[in-house]
Amino acid sequence: MTKYEDVAVHGYEEFCKAVSERKGKEIFAYFSGDKDDQGKSWCPDCVKAEPVVRGELSYLPEGSVFIYCQVGDRPYWKDPNNDFKKTLKLTGVPTLLRYGTPQKLVEEECFKADLVRMLFTED
Amino acid sequence: KYDYDLVVVGGGSGGLASSKERVAVLDFVEPSLKGTKWGLGGTCVNVGCVPKKLMNQAALLGTALRDARKYGWQIPESLSHDWSAMAEAVQNHVKSLNWGHRVQLQDKKVKYLNMKGSLVDEHTVRAVDAKGKEMKMSARNIVFATGGRPKYPTHVPGAEEFGITSDDVFWLNDYSFPSLCVCKDVALECAGFLTGIGLDTTVMLRSIALRGFDQQMSGLVTDYMEAHGTKFSWKCTPKRVQKLPSGLLQVTWMDLNTKEEHQDTFNSVLWAVGRAPETKTLNLEKVGVEINKETGKIIVAADEATSVPNIFAIGDIAEGRPELTPTAIKAGRLLARRLVATTVFTPLEYGCVGLSEEEAERRHGKDQIELYHAFYKPLEFTVAERDATQCYIKVVCLQEGEQRVLGLHFTGPNAGEVTQGFSLGFQCGLTYEHLRNTVRTHPTCAEELVKLNITKRSGLDATVTGC
Repeated sequence: MTKYEDVAVHGYEEFCKAVSERKGKEIFAYFSGDKDDQGKSWCPDCVKAEPVVRGELSYLPEGSVFIYCQVGDRPYWKDPNNDFKKTLKLTGVPTLLRYGTPQKLVEEECFKADLVRMLFTED
Repeated sequence: KYDYDLVVVGGGSGGLASSKERVAVLDFVEPSLKGTKWGLGGTCVNVGCVPKKLMNQAALLGTALRDARKYGWQIPESLSHDWSAMAEAVQNHVKSLNWGHRVQLQDKKVKYLNMKGSLVDEHTVRAVDAKGKEMKMSARNIVFATGGRPKYPTHVPGAEEFGITSDDVFWLNDYSFPSLCVCKDVALECAGFLTGIGLDTTVMLRSIALRGFDQQMSGLVTDYMEAHGTKFSWKCTPKRVQKLPSGLLQVTWMDLNTKEEHQDTFNSVLWAVGRAPETKTLNLEKVGVEINKETGKIIVAADEATSVPNIFAIGDIAEGRPELTPTAIKAGRLLARRLVATTVFTPLEYGCVGLSEEEAERRHGKDQIELYHAFYKPLEFTVAERDATQCYIKVVCLQEGEQRVLGLHFTGPNAGEVTQGFSLGFQCGLTYEHLRNTVRTHPTCAEELVKLNITKRSGLDATVTGC
């Protein structure tokens, strides 16, 4: 019985919808490059970070939400005007963040289990 | 043998000092009387330099918007400022710094504890969290970097109950006006940006503004503020603060010249009457760490060591060990302070490095000093039809030989940026000859420093003319 909600979305609109449907909840989001049919992402850092992040999910606070968001394909991500960069101010993938706060981990920071755990557990 | 090689009490940069050792950092913010608290990073990040400069920028942008009309921008006639929007943006930036600091500590394998530390003995620290949970840790070395907090004028009834300080002003989510800033020192900055964003603000001072700074320059700073809407109550002191049924604050104050008492109503009162070091609750004296009884600061030697060999103190909480005679100590301290380039971020910024005119005269005698000065007008002010009366430069030199620069003073836009550059020259033994031999970057305000040629002694008009 998991104490957090695990949600998977694809693209900016789906992400926003998932957030708006969960007002008042503590939301953590992990942004990754799209995975292909074999489940492998075009973003090598995302491939490396995902098991680390998933390994710390048990530390998520009770009642919180974890959104796994595939941002799009590589050309979409490279465009500096894509919605994730423009509106959410993401600078790289993978990004793991606590929604609505300045707390986030970007790229290599996501490889470190202790940083991920810190993000999930500290105020 | 010890739990840690180093325990740092206070969440500033001490913890980042060494990543090779086992380090723990204890950071805990005792809430202000109004209940304000903040995250990791210390005063500068949370309730000092960073939010101060950002809010100063907010006020400057308001001025820039008004200037912009003269440059052809179609700006609406009435401009309003949303405090909540600004506060949220500033607070978000501060929180991102808190987080950045946190990640850095974790990355360097520094153990961070949100707990209040105090001494048990030379090698043991007691830590208590907000809920009262206690733990002890042993350390080979201990550093105290707990800084200071704003003082309240406790002799003024109602001061603590109804007033706020700089601890609170940056974290308010709305700010009602008019407000009163009672200041002894560098709280002109707060009054400056409050006026700049459209709030009705009064500054009340017992004596002079910017004590310790060059008083001519200080006068230019306050003249500018007065000309731009900040009210000043000179030589006045508050006697009592009461809350009216309406919720407004009534301040009873005395005019020190006439000895008459007056009353005025304000929405809020901001106390900026100095800071006190956070040493009382550290249990220092019992362990033998010497404190200056007068200031409350920890006495340290040149290498930051306290009277206990393995315990150190850095930052605002520390005080230099007096190897000088008492009268010279003050001068020595003032000298140390002025060698560092300082900037006051009032609406008209003031940057300086070295000695004030008064100090230079005291040390060397009026006859041994030469003062070069100029009133200049920033080019940007011309089209904007802005008054540049207080934009001024003064360089204090020795009279003889190559005329070594003893002090450099600049009021004007971006004073901090200008002063930082010249302070490098100052460290390298800047002389008036050097200044005159420097090629100018044109058109800038900073170039006026290397164009200086009128002395105060000559009595000639020091207004810059021509190019």
